[in-house]
Amino acid sequence: MSSTYDRLVGLLTKGFGVEADEVAPENTFEDLELDSLALVELTLAAQEEFGIPLTDDDLHAKNTMTEAAGVLDAKQVTVR
Amino acid sequence: MTAAGGRYDAAVTGIGMVTPAGLGTAASWDRIKSANGTAAQRVPALSGIPADIGCWIPGFDPAATVGKRKAWRLDRSSQFAVAAAAEALADAGLDPAAWDGARVGVVLGSGIGGAATWEKQHNVLLGQGSEKVSALLIPMLAVNMSAGYVAMEFGARGPNFVTATACASGSTAVGAARELLRGGHCDVVITGGAEACLVPSIISGFQQMGALSVRRGEPTAASRPFDVDRDGFVPAEGAAVLILERPESARARGARVRAHVSGYGASADAYNATAPEPSGAGAELALRAALKDAGVDPRSVDHVNAHGTSTPLNDLMEARLIRRVLGDRPAVTSVKGVTGHSLGASGAVEAAVAVLTVEQGIIPPTANLDSQDPEIDLDVVTKEARPADVEVVVSHSFGFGGQNAVVLLTRP
Repeated sequence: MSSTYDRLVGLLTKGFGVEADEVAPENTFEDLELDSLALVELTLAAQEEFGIPLTDDDLHAKNTMTEAAGVLDAKQVTVR
Repeated sequence: MTAAGGRYDAAVTGIGMVTPAGLGTAASWDRIKSANGTAAQRVPALSGIPADIGCWIPGFDPAATVGKRKAWRLDRSSQFAVAAAAEALADAGLDPAAWDGARVGVVLGSGIGGAATWEKQHNVLLGQGSEKVSALLIPMLAVNMSAGYVAMEFGARGPNFVTATACASGSTAVGAARELLRGGHCDVVITGGAEACLVPSIISGFQQMGALSVRRGEPTAASRPFDVDRDGFVPAEGAAVLILERPESARARGARVRAHVSGYGASADAYNATAPEPSGAGAELALRAALKDAGVDPRSVDHVNAHGTSTPLNDLMEARLIRRVLGDRPAVTSVKGVTGHSLGASGAVEAAVAVLTVEQGIIPPTANLDSQDPEIDLDVVTKEARPADVEVVVSHSFGFGGQNAVVLLTRP
């Protein structure tokens, strides 16, 4: 798994009440009980963690962890 | 049920408590009976301010009740409320999976709401800017959310609100909950109060008013209701929940009826924002209204679970009120010597204690009452719990804003 994925899981375990062993790459945010307000929180946390600009439209409840890590990777490339 | 003389009794069938005296009703009651104060110095959440003594609740695990995935979304005050409600419902033998949720109401009291959330996010605003403020700020801080989360957790879809009458909020809630039964709006009401405002801004505000005890070197002795050396209250956090039902429906389902809420009275001092009207005329209106509501003669009150905050003004006003209206008969206690003052939760905590007193025939002592104020001419229970045959108890709560609420409980 990419380090972006691991860092994303790290954010979820740190602030969102998710245990690391409960998360699989194919899980969606919805599966992990993160609704739209929680995703706003996660977006803020991810901006800080990865040092990238994100909007509330970048992460969606139906995204899998793999997809979300992909979104974050793409943003990091853009920043570089 | 309408008892003889037209009295309306609401049955208390369950109790839940999360207090500085203990996690759960049994632990809280044991500590309260011991007269062993719970105040501590250097409360972690008050780090950095001089007024850092308080009665806080170490070891409370919100995930144990609401689950880890939800716990982070609730302010500490709502976490307390849900935990106390869970215990009370289990104690009452009610199964939320089996009830008609539309007939279950929730009425909780809170003075302030999500204080810790508000303060934390205000710091984010000042330090990092508006765009970093949490999207959960509003659902965490709003004062109504404790009742909202209790409803969500247990599927209680009946009337749902939070009463805000400062330090009387918990008592106001119990009175309002009984009205929902009397009016036929609910079959079950989850009622009580929750507060968690041990945060620097709020406690500094109380400190600047001169409301807090400054006995910081000996925190467990700081809350000393009715003592001649009392110098202010000690702030606390916590929650208590009672389950109210109609006595006939409680009995029909085989529930244990632990006490009746038989009277309620409320009033306003219309005098001063923070000081009680010194003669107690405003508080007297509430007390007399509760007695009248219950059809109880003032001279037949056995016990007063006092507001007894340990402030010079409250305790003197309250003592004179008790003496004037109820005479010298009732044994008086204030549990705030042990628990501190949990503000909007205190009326609920003390109503829960009053239920246990009626049920078990034990009046808990007032902690730290070493030398009773000579101006306070009352039979105050001190040092040790007193066995007593208590049929009628009144629980006083008097809030800033001059808002007074009195709950009268009787033995079933």
